[in-house]
Amino acid sequence: MTFPLTIRNIEKSIDEFHLNIQDLTFEEGTISAIVGTNGAGKSTFFKMLMNLVKQDNGEIEVFGHSVRGEDDAWKQQIAYQAQTMIGCDAFTGEQLRNLMAEVYPSWDESLFRRFSEKLNIPLNKKVQKLSPGVKTKLNLALNFGKNTPILMLDEPTAAMDIPSRNYFIQFLLELMERGDRTVLIASHQADDIKKLADYLVFINKGSVTRLLEKDSLVSSYRLFWLKEEPQVSRIPGEIKRTYKKVILSNHPEATMAYLSKNGLVIVDEQVPELEDIIQEILMEGEMINV
Amino acid sequence: MNLPIRLSKSSREPIYHQIENQIKALIASGQLATGDPLPSIRLLAKELEISSITIRRAYQNLEYSGFIQTSQGKGTFVAEVDPAMKTSMASQAVEDAISKAISIARQHECSDEDIVRMVKTLLQKEENQ
Repeated sequence: MTFPLTIRNIEKSIDEFHLNIQDLTFEEGTISAIVGTNGAGKSTFFKMLMNLVKQDNGEIEVFGHSVRGEDDAWKQQIAYQAQTMIGCDAFTGEQLRNLMAEVYPSWDESLFRRFSEKLNIPLNKKVQKLSPGVKTKLNLALNFGKNTPILMLDEPTAAMDIPSRNYFIQFLLELMERGDRTVLIASHQADDIKKLADYLVFINKGSVTRLLEKDSLVSSYRLFWLKEEPQVSRIPGEIKRTYKKVILSNHPEATMAYLSKNGLVIVDEQVPELEDIIQEILMEGEMINV
Repeated sequence: MNLPIRLSKSSREPIYHQIENQIKALIASGQLATGDPLPSIRLLAKELEISSITIRRAYQNLEYSGFIQTSQGKGTFVAEVDPAMKTSMASQAVEDAISKAISIARQHECSDEDIVRMVKTLLQKEENQ
């Protein structure tokens, strides 16, 4: 089986910065969120996939074709949205549309029009006249219009207003219905990740996790409210203690076994919020046991 | 269409199982009738803020046990479910709710007599309304 995107043993060093990816395979029909703090290497990750930054070692394949091969037809399989639109200032939306429609054989005019009209994107204005939010919207309209099997979006909702962001989510989900598209999205918006992502990939201090299924990740953590404060400073599975009696565990089975063995009563328990888990992973470098 | 599904954050029951059981309950109670459409996997995943992989698993199980049907290109629909099965599921749902109430009563150290008395009082109250 050929996967839309596979990455194997990538290493990249830029000055003091090292990025290391062991093995990532993105399956058709899935949405993966790339999560990391500012400067963690998310954009470098995307640029490497697009062969805009060359890796020192390892292999990246798009539908089985190396991105470093002589034939670069793979580029027509990917719509990549960087954080900024470089070299587009002098053009209008319509002019950019004409350019893209020529470069991408899969161009779908109705997708482009529908998105542009819904968000009232002024297609006859030059890009340099547009606000950051409107630029992002135009960029999205163009990338949706490309109608490619792979979509890579680097912080697409950063400057967007709430109704537009909701429409973007709805539009993207509609595109996913056919089941043959693969999306990678870097976002700092917890809401985007909750509503869109099937998988999460964390980039933290240059190291990249494997694909973590969102619900398995969440359910591998659990919050316990105890009746009394445990006498030991760290019980099995505990990664955080608040108000002396609230234990966050990344090994709920082990924590529950310990509590029951030591007669500690659980008053209440629940799975934590995804935001809290992301916080633990990115700020505390918490180990992932999924 | 929005389904009235509420996922419990405190339950130890896996999410796909919670979804399966709640959809079964909606079918058993008649809130979802034969032929009614169900939301697409992606849409339900967005609404419940969980991954489409979990929803797919729940839908597959429901389809396997004959509660729903998927037809290519048209979507997912409620299947024809045996009325006897519906009745037994409905009583199961009531039993589950009562069991939950009992376990809460136990946490508050109620005796059997206390529980029975409370149920009688509530039934009486309902009658008077």
